Amino acid sequence: MGSLSIIGSLAHKSLRNRASTALLTVLSIAISIALLIGVERIRTEARSSFASTISGTDLIVGARGGDINLLLYSVFRIGNATNNISWESYQDITSRPVVEWAIPISLGDSHRGFRVMGTNQDYFRFYKYSRTRTLEFIAGEPFDGVFDAVLGADVAAELDYAIGDKIVIAHGAGSTSFVEHDDKPFIVTGILKKTGTPVDRTVHVTLEGIEAIHIDWQSGMRLPGQSVSAQQALQMELQPEAITAFLLGLKSRVAAFGLLRDINEYKEEPLLAIIPGVTLQQLWELIRVVEITLLAVSICVVIAGLIGMLSAILTSLNERRREMAILRAIGARPWHVLLLLVTESALLAAAGALAGMALIIGLTAVAAPMLEQRFGIFVEVQWPGAFEWLIALVVVAAAIVVSLWPAWRAYRNALADGLTIRV
Amino acid sequence: MVADPQPDNRAPTVVGIRDLLFAWPGQPPVLDIAELNIARGERVFLAGPSGSGKSTLLGLIGGVLTADSGSITVLNQELAALSVAQRDRYRADYVGFVFQLFNLLPFLSVVDNVLLPCRFSARRHERAAARSGTVDDEARRLLSHLDVTADLMARKVTELSIGQQQRVAAARALIGAPELLIADEPTSALDHDLRERFIHLLLDECAAAESAVLFVSHDMSLGSLFDRQLALTEINRAGHHNG
Ligand SMILES: Nc1ncnc2c1ncn2[C@@H]1O[C@H](COP(=O)(O)OP(=O)(O)OP(=O)(O)O)[C@@H](O)[C@H]1O
Ligand SMILES: [Mg+2]
Repeated sequence: MGSLSIIGSLAHKSLRNRASTALLTVLSIAISIALLIGVERIRTEARSSFASTISGTDLIVGARGGDINLLLYSVFRIGNATNNISWESYQDITSRPVVEWAIPISLGDSHRGFRVMGTNQDYFRFYKYSRTRTLEFIAGEPFDGVFDAVLGADVAAELDYAIGDKIVIAHGAGSTSFVEHDDKPFIVTGILKKTGTPVDRTVHVTLEGIEAIHIDWQSGMRLPGQSVSAQQALQMELQPEAITAFLLGLKSRVAAFGLLRDINEYKEEPLLAIIPGVTLQQLWELIRVVEITLLAVSICVVIAGLIGMLSAILTSLNERRREMAILRAIGARPWHVLLLLVTESALLAAAGALAGMALIIGLTAVAAPMLEQRFGIFVEVQWPGAFEWLIALVVVAAAIVVSLWPAWRAYRNALADGLTIRV
Repeated sequence: MVADPQPDNRAPTVVGIRDLLFAWPGQPPVLDIAELNIARGERVFLAGPSGSGKSTLLGLIGGVLTADSGSITVLNQELAALSVAQRDRYRADYVGFVFQLFNLLPFLSVVDNVLLPCRFSARRHERAAARSGTVDDEARRLLSHLDVTADLMARKVTELSIGQQQRVAAARALIGAPELLIADEPTSALDHDLRERFIHLLLDECAAAESAVLFVSHDMSLGSLFDRQLALTEINRAGHHNG
C-alpha cells in the first residue's frame, strides 16, 4: 500500500523536524533499555561464573551450619565459618575407601584485603573449575616449605608481586586489620594463571604455615610474654589441630549420597556435607528475589522511558492539530492521522532500542575489566543476541500500544475538527 | 482497497446543492440552503459574516461533514451515496483547499508540501506529471507562476512570510488540476495590495487548470474580481434565526 510508505516518510520527516525532543526521547528509551539488558546480562553471567567456579567436587564438608553459608565461605570466600572441624574427623572421613581425593581448607587470615587460604599440594592437583580445568601456574610452582605462598592472578597483578617477594599475613579477614603476623613473613613461590574465579583473589599457603603463625596466639590475641620466632616454629609440631572445611572427590558419584548421610550423622562432632550443585541451586532460589527485584526495577525504568515519550507526544498534540487538519484536507483518512503518530512512536522506540544496544556494547567494553576484578564476573563484549532483539521488539510493541492513546485522540480530533483549523 | 468513486468528469455542474440542512450536534441548524450551483470553471465569491457557517458549508462540500438532509453533488456524484473512505478519496482527487493560515506542514520542504496531494491521489499525480513531465517539475512550474522564486523554494516553510506561505498553499491546491478549488479566507492575513495580487495569481492559475473556484471571505470588496458573488445570508435560510 502506497499510503503506508507516505505515512512512513511523513513520520520520519516530522521527527527530524523536532530533532531535539526526539533525541531526548530516544536517549531516555536507550538508557532504560541498556539498563534492562545490562541487568539481564550480569544476571546470566553471574550465574555462569558462579556455576563454573567449582567443578568435579562431589562433597564439601564443614562444621554444622547453613548449607549456603558453607558453600559461600569454602568456595566463594564470602562470609566466615561458624566453627572449625577437627583434624581427626578430616582424617577419619578422608580415609574411607570411596574417597578419591580431599582438599583441606583453612581460612580466617588475610593479606591486604585478599583472603588467605591454608591448604596442601592436592589443591593444585585436584581442584577443578569451568568443568574440567585445573589450576595452572604462570610463574613459579606450588608451595613446598612452611612459609611459601602461591598467589592468585589478581593478587599478584594488583599488588604487583613477583616470585621471591615477602608478604606478611594479617589476622582476620579485613583489609584494615592491624594485627599482623609480621614476625613470620611468607615468600611467594608461585603465581597462578587467571581463572575468572575467586581463586584469582586468594593467597594460598600451607596448612603448616597457618599453624605456625598462630602458634603463639590464642583466641585471636597474641599471648603476652610468649614469642616464638619463625625458626623456632619450624622446629615445633605443626600438624594442624583443626581446619575450616574440606572438598571431597569420590571414586563414584553414586557414593556421594551415602557419604553425605554418614557425615551429617557423624557422632564425634557436628559436621555438615553438601553437594555443591544442589546448594548452588538453593542459592539461586534465594537470589531469585533479588534478581526479580532488579528486573522489575529496570522494567519500571523502561516504562518510565515510554511514559516520557507519551508525554512528549501528548504535549505536541495540540500544536500538531493543524497538521492533522491539513492532512485531512489533502485527502488523508482519519486512520492515516492515527498511523502517523503510531509510526512516529515506533520509530522513536526502535531508534531508542538500537541506541540502547550500542550503549550496552560500549558500557560492557568499559566496565568488563572492573566487573571481573571486583566480582570475578566475566562479561564479554558481544553482539545483541535473541534476548536483546526480543527486548527491542517488546519495547517497540509497547511504544505502539502506548501511542495508541494520543493517536486515538488525534483521530477523534481529526474527525471532529473536519477542516477547521483550531489554533 | 476503497473502490473509486465515479464522478462525471465532464459534468457541466461542479457543485450542486439542493435543500441542504445541517446542524452541529446540540445546536440549532446553521445551514439551510435551498439551491446552490457552481458551473465548471466558474469563479464564485461567497461572503458572510463571522460565524454564519461559511467554513461549515465548505466542510460539507469537501465531504468532511455530512448533511442532515438534502443533497450535495460534486461532478454529478451524490456525496451522501459515498462511504466515508470514498469521500476522503474523492476529496483527494477532485478538490484543492487553501485555508486562512497554517496551510503548510512545517517539517516538509516547500516543494514537498506542494507535492502532498500527488502522494494521496494517483489521479492528481498522473495529471500533474502529464502536464510537466514529472510531478516535481509541475510543482516548480506552479510555484514560479505564483511568484515563488527558486530562492524561496529552497527555504524552510517556517521562514516564509504569510503571503509566501499562502502562495505555496495555492500551488498545492492546484497541483494535478482538481475540478474544484476551495479557498477559506486565504487572504484575511494579507494586507490589501497583497490580497488582490494573490487573488489574481490564484484565479489565473485556476483558469489555466480549468478549475472552478469557491472563494470565501467576509471582505466584500474582493467580490468584484469573481464571476459571481453570493451572500451566504441570502441563500441560507437558517442564518436568520442566528441573527
Ligand atoms: N467543529 C465544530 N463543532 C461545533 N460547532 C461548530 C464547529 N465548527 C463551527 N461550529 C459552529 O458553527 C457555526 C458556524 O461556524 P463556521 O466556522 O462555519 O463559521 P464561519 O462563517 O466560517 O465563520 P468565520 O468567518 O469566523 O470563519 C458557529 O456558530 C460555530 O460555533
Ligand atoms: Mg470560517
